[in-house]
Amino acid sequence: MNNIFDAGYIFQALPIIAAVLPGTLFILTASLLFGSLLGLLLTIVKLKAQPLFSAMAGVYISFMRGTPTLVQLFLVYYGLPKLLELAGININDWDKVIFAVITFSLHTAAFLAEVMRSAYLAVDRGQREAAYSVGMGGVQAFTRIILPQAFVIALPNLGNTVIAFLKETSLAFTIGVVDIMGQTQLLSTRGYGVRQLEVFIAVSLLYWAICLMIEKSISLLENHYKKGYREIAG
Amino acid sequence: MLFDTYFAIQSFPDILKGVPMTLLIAVVAMLLGLINGLVLTLCRIYKVPVLKELVVVYISFIRGTPLLVQIYVIYYSLPLLFTILSREMGWDLSANNIPPLAYALTAFTINTTAYMAETIRAAFRSVEAGQMEAAYSVGLTTVQSLRRIIIPQAMVVALPNLANMFLGLIKGTSLAYSIMVVEILAQAKLAAADGYRYLEAYVDAAIIYWILCLFFERLFSYLEKRVKQFKGEITPV
Repeated sequence: MNNIFDAGYIFQALPIIAAVLPGTLFILTASLLFGSLLGLLLTIVKLKAQPLFSAMAGVYISFMRGTPTLVQLFLVYYGLPKLLELAGININDWDKVIFAVITFSLHTAAFLAEVMRSAYLAVDRGQREAAYSVGMGGVQAFTRIILPQAFVIALPNLGNTVIAFLKETSLAFTIGVVDIMGQTQLLSTRGYGVRQLEVFIAVSLLYWAICLMIEKSISLLENHYKKGYREIAG
Repeated sequence: MLFDTYFAIQSFPDILKGVPMTLLIAVVAMLLGLINGLVLTLCRIYKVPVLKELVVVYISFIRGTPLLVQIYVIYYSLPLLFTILSREMGWDLSANNIPPLAYALTAFTINTTAYMAETIRAAFRSVEAGQMEAAYSVGLTTVQSLRRIIIPQAMVVALPNLANMFLGLIKGTSLAYSIMVVEILAQAKLAAADGYRYLEAYVDAAIIYWILCLFFERLFSYLEKRVKQFKGEITPV
């Protein structure tokens, strides 16, 4: 058994893979940042804009949710250079990480927009009316009354979206980005066909650990923000 | 040329040939996942010692790691398992004879089982305990009450999640190309390599996936309306 599976190798591989963890975390945070800005924009357009624009936002969200992330990644990787070539911009020497961040931002924006929209709509209408009745303006009512409540409602879904997205960053290696999955692939081919299982078990442990950490922090946040919320029979 | 529309239209039928493979993986994984998920959930609900804890770790691991990583783990561990079995049991199993589809089906089933178990558990929990008691009180057996009273109600709760899971699976099958299963994305790659027109082929693939997802979304929302008849509203509709 020992010669075909070497459990010790898992722990030899772990630090080598973990060395590129910053790459994965960079893709994760940058995409979430741009994705939430774009997602916010999409939410506003979908809820408030003219029917035409709102329908366009709807189609965009439907496309992003209806096609595999991998296909979107390839579309951006092969499509964006051609599109920008039209404008006379040559991006062939761009780092591949940029393509990954662009794709993932466009992708998560659609999912975050759905989370934001459902959370916004879940806040009771009466809350806004009550805010107006005590003399608050539109902006005040939104930032002080609606937003805090919507945020609490959105938290569990937000957590799920972030976790699902962390796992999707593993696709970036397909265009040559060296994140933890990319490093794993390199390590696995370097072994000339041996110790491949061990390497992939190592990377799965790493992903699992990060997911558990994100899960834990979201549930801490949830508990923290629950304090303002009373049950009906509170 | 920026975008060769002619090439895109011409290779569309070729890429379409991947649809049956995509659906096969998604449907088989969904059905096997449903059966396994039900078993895992019953282990948790009836608090089977040891198994219950194993199920929790299993679900957490599967939900905490990327599907792609799971596919590779299966891809490299099944041959090992076969080698060990052949050596220890004297069976004549050769890892070279495992078709790529077998790896894909194994990986997708293992993945779906975990998500399915979570969905089924949530659905069961949404049905009041009183429903089971009421079923017993009119003389139904456990199996009868599960089948006639609990499952129809749990189904209403589970269906939207099942729909999401199935759509996720259809999109997830695109990862199977990495282990040489020829589904939609792999067909697109083949077509693209023909004329070195990657963008066109991937646009085709995106359109096919999108249509598939929209179709199944519709189908599931129709089913949701159908099963709602089991759910009594406070005021009759």
